[in-house]
Formats: sequence, C-alpha cells, structure tokens
Amino acid sequence: MRKAEGGILLRLLLLFMLHATGTSYSPPGKPTLTRCRSPEKETFTCWWEPGSDGGLPTKYALYYRKENSDKVFECPDYRTAGENSCFFNKNDTSVWVNYNITVVATNALGRTFSDPVDIDVVYIVKPNPPENLALTVLWDQTWPYLHVSWESPQKADTRSGWITLIYELRIKLEDEDEWEEHPAGQQKTFNIFSLCSGGKYLVQVRCKPDHGFWSEWSSSQYVKVPEYFNREKSMWVLAVIFSAFALFIITWLIHMNCHNLKQCILPSVPGPKIKGFDEQLLKDGKSMDAFSSLVGANFPPTTTNYEDLLVEYLEVFVPEERELMLEETKELHNDSLKFENSTSDCDSGRGSCDSHTLLIDKSEEEKGQQPDQQSSEIKMDGKGQDEEDKYLTCSPENVDSHQLSSEKVKTWPSSFSPLPEYSPIPLQQPNSHETSKQPCLSDSLFAAGPLPSHFPHLGHNTKDEIGSSYWQFGISNKQLHLLHQQMEAHQQLQAHKNASVSNIGHLQLPSVRFTEYVEVQRVSDQNMVILHPVPSHPETSYPDWHQTEEYSKVKCVDNDNGLLLLQREGVEEGMDMCSYEELPESDPSKTTNTTFTSPCSQPAPSVQDERVVGGYVETSVFTLPTY
Amino acid sequence: MKAASICPNDQTGCHLLPLANLFDRVIQHSARMHGISDDLHSEFELYFLPSKNQIGRVSRNCHTSTILTPNGKENAQRIAREELAEIILKLLVAWRDPLWHFHQSMSQHDEFTNFSSNKSLEMSDMVHELRKGVLKVVEKMQMLGIISNSVGDTGSPEALLTSDSAEWRFMKDYDLLYCFRRDSNKIQNYLKILKCRIVPKHGC
Repeated sequence: MRKAEGGILLRLLLLFMLHATGTSYSPPGKPTLTRCRSPEKETFTCWWEPGSDGGLPTKYALYYRKENSDKVFECPDYRTAGENSCFFNKNDTSVWVNYNITVVATNALGRTFSDPVDIDVVYIVKPNPPENLALTVLWDQTWPYLHVSWESPQKADTRSGWITLIYELRIKLEDEDEWEEHPAGQQKTFNIFSLCSGGKYLVQVRCKPDHGFWSEWSSSQYVKVPEYFNREKSMWVLAVIFSAFALFIITWLIHMNCHNLKQCILPSVPGPKIKGFDEQLLKDGKSMDAFSSLVGANFPPTTTNYEDLLVEYLEVFVPEERELMLEETKELHNDSLKFENSTSDCDSGRGSCDSHTLLIDKSEEEKGQQPDQQSSEIKMDGKGQDEEDKYLTCSPENVDSHQLSSEKVKTWPSSFSPLPEYSPIPLQQPNSHETSKQPCLSDSLFAAGPLPSHFPHLGHNTKDEIGSSYWQFGISNKQLHLLHQQMEAHQQLQAHKNASVSNIGHLQLPSVRFTEYVEVQRVSDQNMVILHPVPSHPETSYPDWHQTEEYSKVKCVDNDNGLLLLQREGVEEGMDMCSYEELPESDPSKTTNTTFTSPCSQPAPSVQDERVVGGYVETSVFTLPTY
Repeated sequence: MKAASICPNDQTGCHLLPLANLFDRVIQHSARMHGISDDLHSEFELYFLPSKNQIGRVSRNCHTSTILTPNGKENAQRIAREELAEIILKLLVAWRDPLWHFHQSMSQHDEFTNFSSNKSLEMSDMVHELRKGVLKVVEKMQMLGIISNSVGDTGSPEALLTSDSAEWRFMKDYDLLYCFRRDSNKIQNYLKILKCRIVPKHGC
C-alpha cells in the first residue's frame, strides 16, 4: 500500500517536475507492426515501428495469442532479430495456426497498443537468396555458353519436401543497365547462349516458395567470355553484303534496259488504225481523200470492161435466226480480200466470221451503175436482227439490211476488187461452177467450182472436183462461213455470165436481176441454207418477205447432187411444203417457179423453221436448164 | 504382386518410378486445388472485408480442427507414414460435403460471378478426385510393401466424421473458405513430405 502510494507520489512529482521544466511529455505513440517473415517456414520474425515515444523512455512488448486460445504469450526473443523485433523460434512456431499479434508501447505516462495483426506462418515465407552461385563457360563445338549453377538457401529444407522453391536468374553485361531475366523453375542449373565475344557478365539468382515472397537477389557473380569467332554473325554479314551486291547489279541492269523492259512488260497499246487510212485527212475535212486510200486501185472501176465482170449470182437472204457463214478460200485474189477484222479466224483459207450476217458480194454491186443482168452477184447474206453484215473481208459492218444492195457494194470494194475480174461461179450451170452446196448434208456448203458436166454438186469437199473457183459455203453448226471463190473460176464464170442472165430471169427474181443478191438468210436446224433474194434497190423493203414465192430454199440434196429447193409460199408457211424445185439437172426446163415433187434421195429433215421467210436459189441451178 | 514390369531389375529405385509419378500427379492436383481456394478467398475478401476488430473473430473454429494434424516440420516427419496418409484422407473426406454446400450457396448468391461459381464447383470436384488419387497412391504403397495395410478406405475415418461434424453448417461462407484454404495447403504439404520420405530420389 505504501509502495503504491509512493509510486503514485513519485509519478506525480515527476510530472510536476517535467511540467516545471517546460517540456511536454505524453504517452507513447502507437507502434505499428510492419511485417512478419519466415525464412523457412519453421521460425518467423516480426518487426514493428515504434511511434513517438512521448519524450519518455518507452518500452515495447509484443504479445500474441494463438488461434482458438485466449492465453496471451509474450514474445520469447527480442534480441535475435535486432531492434524492434520479435523472433519466434521453432518451438514457438506453429504452422497453420493463426497468430494474433499486438505490440504495446509503454512509457511513464501510459501505454499504447498497436493494431493487432493476424498471421499464418505459411503465408509469410520469404526465403534467403540461393547460395553458391557458380558460373562456368563451356563450349558447344565452337560456341561458348554460360553454365550457371546454384544451391538452395541453407535453411530452407527442400529435401524433405517441406518447402518447394522456384528460382529465377538474371544476367547483364557489365556496362549495361538492363537485366535479362530467366525463370528457371525448380532446377538449380541454367545455360545461357548467345554471348558476346569477350564480354564480361554479371549473374544473380533468387528464389520463392510456391506461396510466398521472392527472396532477395544473390550477390553478383562475374564471368568473362573468351574471344571467339562468331560464325553465324559473319555469315549473316556476308549474306547481307551479297544480297546488296546482287540487288545493285539487278538495279543497274534494269536501268540499262529500262526501255526494253518497258516495252516488254507494258507494251504500248496499238491505237485503232485502218491500214492506209489517214486520220488526219479526215480531220481536215477531206473525206474523199481520206477514203481514197481505202479504195483499191480498181475501185470504182472505170475502165474495166463490165462485160467481163458479169457474173451471175444470186442474192441469198438468210432469215435472221439463221446464220450462215460463208467462207472464202484464201486463194481468192489476195488483194481483193482483206480480212480486216477476223484474219485471225481465217484458217486454211477459210475465213470464219462470227457475225450474224455474212454478205458475199460477188463484186458486182460495186458497179451499181451497171443496172443489169449481166452482173449478178451472189450475196450470201445472213441477216440478223442486228443487221450486221459480214463480207468476205469478215469485217463486220453494221449495214442496214434494207440497204444492203447499194451500200454493200460500196463497202466491199477493197475486198472485192478482184471480183470484177471474175465472177462468182456457182451461178452457172452444170458446166458452170458450182456455187452452192446443199447445206443439209454436211457441214460445209460450198459452191462447187465449175464442173464440166453439171450443176452444183453437193457434198463435202468437192474442191478438187470443182477445180477452179467456186463459192464455198461452210455451214457448220449454224456458223456462217464465207463464200470462197477460187480464182480459176474466173474464166469459167465469165463464160457463163451471159447465160446467167437468162437464168436469173427464170428465177424471176425481183426486177433488177443483176444487182440482186441472194442472201443466206439463215441456216435451219437441219443445216439448211435458206436464201433470200435481196432487192437491189435500197428502198425496197428488205428482207423481201413478199417475194418468198419466188424463191425456194434448199430442201435436200438428191443423189445427183442436185439441190432441191423448196419453194416458199409465204412468210410463215409451214415448212413441210412439199413443193420444191429441183436443181436444173434433172429438168432443164424447169423454172424456179415450177413446183414439183421429185424424189429426194436424201430427204432433208423437214423444215420446221417457221421463220424461214425465204429460200434461195442458186442461179446456176436455174440456169442449168438453159444449157 | 511385385514391382512394376517397367524395371527389369531393381536398381537405383527404378521400381519406384511409377509410384513417384503417381505422387507427382496427386501433388500437382492438390496444388491446383489450393490455388483455386486461394483465389476464391482473395475474391471473398474483396466482397466482405471482415472487420479486423470483430471480437468474435478469434473464436473461429474450423470443423476439421478435431483432426489432429502436425503443425511443424518435425512433427510431420516424426509421425508414421501410415498416419500421415490417413490424416490426408481424413481431411479430404471431411471437406466433401461442406464444399458441395458451399458451391450451392455460392451459386445462389447474385453477387458472385459465374467465374467464382465455377471455381467453387471445381473445388468441390477436386476434393473427390484427389481423394481417389490418394487412395490409389496408398494402395500402390501397400502393394509395394512400403506401408502397412492399416490405412483403409473402409476404415473408421469416414464413419467417425459423418456422424458428428455438422458444425460446418453453421459456419459462414467466408470462414468455410478460410478453413478450406488452409486445409488444402496442409494436404499439399503432407503429400510432399510423404513423397520425399518414400521416394526421395525422384525430385526432392
């Protein structure tokens, strides 16, 4: 009791004295537990931060309580871990047990409790850094590499499986600032490649338990890599130099051949050009001059003897659905034929033109001035709706079919300049030249050349038989072929031109005979050529459907190679008209208008095409009887 | 029934290789289980920061505290292998039902994301799988004659536990999670110790 009183008295006195001296004292500030760490999960240490001491000497004490127990223990060891620390040794450490720790600061004026902290040893493990870091330079053939090895920290017991550590190392060159880090898992060795020749390296390593904190980095170890020849690097250097050199050479080559390459890669686009045609003249307004170049030497023929040019021919009018391509052999007068457009299509002397209509002007129309019977032309005109006429030149020209006659004449000049020299054959008789072939028989319908004996023979390649010039129709799959004319037909044709006149008359073609054309209107399914006469006068309506009765179409070919023609009565008459005309051979006195039946050895398939509006008759056929 | 046919002759502990592999596998499994519980626990702490000043907090009592487990390295190394194996099994059995119910309650709460709900399910499944794995290891060990046959599946642990420990039903979710996080760490650690005691040469 006395002691207590004495104590209190003393304290009061102390306070009074302190007060008297003027300094202020206070109870200690609140300490804080900063951290608790366990290096090996067997012991642990806690550190705290003292608060203000209040000017008085302050004592600190750490108290803890274990989980589920109210018993309070004080820290067993304040010294081992240093100042303001508490070390729990193995006996005092229980893993998987919750510790509630509090630090108390006490001074003369009072005591202050820190905030309690709950810890579980398992989650505060921070091991010591790995030990015995060793660096060795080993050689892999000519390459050096660094072999790093270390050991686990001594205290951490990994052997018994109590702790599992994972490692990490980092390396850098001596003068560098950036470290290169490499995680190493649970292994205790590591190899580093791609070292700088002659470089000096620093290596450090650290570890961490599976649930815990990373240790501090170990102390650095130094190693010096010996000088070595980096083959890979030098190889790359060589490769780069070589490729640069090659690139330089290629560039130089390209530069030297710049122009040639340009031509090769980007050829200049040919402008549209007509041979012999001078655009400039046209632009200047001298159209006649401009066109003059297009005109052949013989056009318009002024001095030629038109007599010589008389050729009988038929106008063939081909209904629009059918296309007939007339082929012309290349043996025709070269300068006459200019395949302006489809030279590429012309092969083996047969130009193939894929326009709808193919007009073969047998040349006479150019003498449109020659109103007469002496010139006749065969014009195979397949007339399509688009009215594109293809002439022997295979140049598609959009000529209004209604004006075929005259215009055609004009547009054919170049190609047909030789035509005046000889007339198309086929119009003639048996001894004249075959001019047409029965299309339904074969792919090609061609007008045979002058046959000594007879009339148009039908069949495939009668060129040989024909001999000289002939018109050749090629009909294949509804293609139009050019009518070919052979050169030799020339003379023979001439022989019969006169005759043709009368023959044409038999045909009762429209008034103007000799300027009429027969157009191949179309080819029916059965490969029948349907011809239609073309009125010579432009004003005449074309196609001239109304004249169908004057024309017949080829129905079939009979054994004697006669062309059986079918007479059409009306535009849309049924095809199966039996009436037809036979080719002259069988009955020379026949006229085109006579209708009769005659056996057809090779009956053509019935003509079903309702749109056949006209047929054609080969003038030669009709003139046959007269001879 | 003798050693595996992989090793022709018993040199350098070759016949223990399959056992070591088995151990590695269950240890990996347990590590994964612990990882999931750790993630969930952190997530819980975000949602419900338990106030540190709760008075009643100290009296948290895991329902598995009745199972005596070694709390230090020496203790763990001192006890017999069989006993250690049995403790592991006990723990795994003890957490079967509570985890299932934990998952149920988690999926009902809207504040938990699907991710968390999936994790709880995964955790629950893993307990089952791990138990089967440990049983296999024990079986193998018994086969190899390393441990006695006293450790058994049909033994007492299950019978004992199922009858009395319903305490976990009264625990809050957060506390359950806290307890399981710790117990899964114990299981992982005990397995490692067991492995390094039985097959020390294979990665210890």
